[in-house]
Amino acid sequence: MSSESPGFFRQLPSALPGLVLIIVTMMVIRIWIEPWMAHTKIFGMSKPLTDAFHLNYILLGIISGMFYRNIVFGGKIPDMLVDGFRLSRLMIKVGIILLGSLYTFSAIIKLGFTAIALISAFVVLTVLMVLWLGKAFGLDRSMTAVLANALSICGVSAAVATSPAVEAKASHVAYAIATILGFGVLTMFLSPYIGHELGLTNMQYGAWIGTGILNTGQVLASALAFDPQAGPGTALAVAEVWNVMRVIAIPFAVFAVTFWYWAGKDAVDSKGNRQSLGSLLVEKFPVFVIGFMAMVFLTSMGAFGDVGVESGHSPSAAIMSLRVTMQWIFGFGLVGLGGFIDFDELRQAGGAPFRLGLLVGATKYIVALLIVLLLKQYFV
Amino acid sequence: MANEDKYGVNGASDAEMGNKASLFKDDRAEDIGAIIITVIIVVAIVLLKK
Repeated sequence: MSSESPGFFRQLPSALPGLVLIIVTMMVIRIWIEPWMAHTKIFGMSKPLTDAFHLNYILLGIISGMFYRNIVFGGKIPDMLVDGFRLSRLMIKVGIILLGSLYTFSAIIKLGFTAIALISAFVVLTVLMVLWLGKAFGLDRSMTAVLANALSICGVSAAVATSPAVEAKASHVAYAIATILGFGVLTMFLSPYIGHELGLTNMQYGAWIGTGILNTGQVLASALAFDPQAGPGTALAVAEVWNVMRVIAIPFAVFAVTFWYWAGKDAVDSKGNRQSLGSLLVEKFPVFVIGFMAMVFLTSMGAFGDVGVESGHSPSAAIMSLRVTMQWIFGFGLVGLGGFIDFDELRQAGGAPFRLGLLVGATKYIVALLIVLLLKQYFV
Repeated sequence: MANEDKYGVNGASDAEMGNKASLFKDDRAEDIGAIIITVIIVVAIVLLKK
């Protein structure tokens, strides 16, 4: 244990300057920049920053943090601000727990056995593929662990949720996010075209992209590009429910990858400090995922009122407030996270994480389409 | 924590982003802190929106 640590509450006052910078940055992004992007026209294109580049408060937050560190502060966060930035992981964990308010168990049960089995198989096989390829590509174990969950589940939130449990650097998360978003932009434009060419129904198309596209936002955009309608039975509704199933897998995948990371780490670092797998599990279990599960459970039990997914009604006031709070806290955490992304580190990592991400992403995208085509009769 | 020094290997940002990236003494304490903060937020929202 780090007896030299002054402790959370004693360090809290020194975190205020950095925290104020983070909060003000996110307020500027959400109150001024996002609305401006939603209405702006560039070279005759309407809102290209949100539609074509999918810039939102999450990405702008990370970019702001990177900008502060690498441009404004010349490569290192000043001592006066660094304690505030050190709150980023705490805020991200709070955001992940609140994320549970978006999902219910009943939405998953409604999917049916075939869909649950297919999505689960994709999650497990993608994790295994990334862990295997990570070794083949010579990637750092933390980087591999973050990529495994980012590519198998739902991109950004999975990458962020996994990072604290596997000692990932901010640059690992940045790489995973950049890979997911880069691949996602490509699939977002390609998928509606392929879907229409193959004559897929809304159900088939939703099942494909809900499995094959990595990021939640891009699943939504691809579904709306295929069929702009939003209601029960549309591509959007199908894709989002399939996507929910993947998100629900976050705690299990974080647990599994954390276990893999520490089990291997123990074997590598065995300098007389060996631990049994049992004690590793107890010591390294990411407790915050229990919070996420508890949140899903409470939401499923109706503790916060109508979720608004299945009923078609608007979500309750409590659910809406929880989601808004989650967005803000995520936003703060990601500005802080961006502040730990060092351009030099990104350069040092080279292109291997991108190559691995593209290989796995493309495989998953194509195999998901082939399976949906093979099982067409189940998705009508 | 015994594993703190490994963050010194790759430069300053590693040191910042490892366990040192937190104001808590270790990950477990940070997890519990996150859960407590969330509980406070949830209770406040539920009470305010009733």
